Amino acid sequence: MQDFPYRPVGELVRFDNVGLRYGVGAETLTDVSFSIEAHSFQFLTGASGTGKTTLLRLIMQGLKPTRGTITLFGEDTTDLGKDRLTALRRRMGIVFQDFRLLDHLTTYENVALPLKVRGRDEASYRAEVVELLRWVGLGDLMDAPPAILSGGEQQRASIARALVTQPDLLLADEPTGNVDPSLARRLLRLFIEMNRSGTAVFIATHDIGLMDQVRGARKLVLADRHLSVGA
Amino acid sequence: METGSSSIQSVGARLVWWRRANRTNLLVAADPVTDRALVAVIAILTFIAALTAGAAEFSTRTAARWQVMMASEVTVQVKPQPSRVIDSDLTRAADLLRGTEGVTSVRIYSREDSAKLLEPWLGALANVEALPLPRLIAVRIDSAKPPDLAALGQALTAAVPGAVLDDHRSWTRRFSRLADTFLVGSAAALLLVVLAAALAIVFATRGAMAGNRDIIAVLHFVGADDGYIARQFQGHFALLGLRGGAIGGVAALVSVAALRLIGLLTLGSADLLGASVGTGSIFPGWGMVTVVIAVVILVGVVAGLASRMTVHRTIDQIA
Repeated sequence: MQDFPYRPVGELVRFDNVGLRYGVGAETLTDVSFSIEAHSFQFLTGASGTGKTTLLRLIMQGLKPTRGTITLFGEDTTDLGKDRLTALRRRMGIVFQDFRLLDHLTTYENVALPLKVRGRDEASYRAEVVELLRWVGLGDLMDAPPAILSGGEQQRASIARALVTQPDLLLADEPTGNVDPSLARRLLRLFIEMNRSGTAVFIATHDIGLMDQVRGARKLVLADRHLSVGA
Repeated sequence: METGSSSIQSVGARLVWWRRANRTNLLVAADPVTDRALVAVIAILTFIAALTAGAAEFSTRTAARWQVMMASEVTVQVKPQPSRVIDSDLTRAADLLRGTEGVTSVRIYSREDSAKLLEPWLGALANVEALPLPRLIAVRIDSAKPPDLAALGQALTAAVPGAVLDDHRSWTRRFSRLADTFLVGSAAALLLVVLAAALAIVFATRGAMAGNRDIIAVLHFVGADDGYIARQFQGHFALLGLRGGAIGGVAALVSVAALRLIGLLTLGSADLLGASVGTGSIFPGWGMVTVVIAVVILVGVVAGLASRMTVHRTIDQIA
């Protein structure tokens, strides 16, 4: 564990009776209570439109709940200042369903972005970013803009960007949605690798085959606005 | 041929490197069309502001110079009286003036001189003696310790009926009031132009931030703080403002030089107003250059501040 001098223990994320309603309609999520423990590996599943992405957005503070409390890394997020929010986000890595790579940067620059915005000097991270890019099979496409990458390549770039800071918590929204089964297995191995080195992994997916490949992973199921622990 | 193409290649490579370096320094996507339009608007505004400020500087300095010149000279006018010999009146007045403390020189304008002064209005006069022309005495005074002009005027009128002392005071006052008015007007114009430049920057920054909404959201999620994101925009727009300002400022200086050149060619004097100011060459004087540089710096600073304020205000609206 010497690569990771500090690793959290206990709950990284805790939802207590969280409800969310968009506008004036019925609640999208009702009474959601769960937690993500340090070093854990969890899948969030459910049919399309049940609110998987919404739940992830609540965790990453892209949305505020209409009721209930969300605790992140031990901090109540109800009245979180901007500086604290940034500090908490820096402990997460996020893989968006639509990747959200920046089109005007190269693949390398996209993956290095989380390090760059932390004010780190490029010389201090270039080698490890290149290494990571090779690992996800994008070594030859480092200088290419995301626009010319295939869907699977963009997905890998966005996963690399989420992992590059070795976050305490990795949130991934359908991270294998655009790749063939063999590549999906490789990417999953990457997540398992990260999990072994201390990162808590939380993956939203409806790919049942994927979930069966991780032994000991907890399964959370979203159905009918409620969250339950799966079999 | 070889060296030619290789040097072109190296210039090309350097350009690619430069663009790459610039691109990677900026995490937000700039829109070249908006950028160019913004630079043009700022350049035009700076051009107007610089010319206005330069003209104000010029007129203030000229007014000050003229006031010094006017303050060091007074004129005595002797009107011809029916029963008197004007030449002896002139001599008497001149003697009195010479005997006054603070008067440095006295010169009587001859009849021919007076006729020449009137020539532009009356044409060449064939028979000068036939006209009852008023005559002038030019008096230089020590502006450091001037004589009591009011008392001197009374003494003159008492000694020589028809002699009037003109100390140009009403002219000086009017002229300085004109210069002051112009200065205030220029300051107001400068203020408005700078305000317009600031607004242009505000709109461009807001537009760019709206266009970069998704990018800002991504930057937030990968851990960028507001200050970091703000710097991406701020620096960009401050630089555009400064660039536009520099272009406008240089254009203003070139225009002044061109105006002076036209003046030199058509009037035989680089000085359009005929006042003895400036360097005498076609180039703008240092005062003008200083004012223009000050305006460019002002525009740059205002651009930076406007962009900074806009960014910080807008960033809160983007998650």
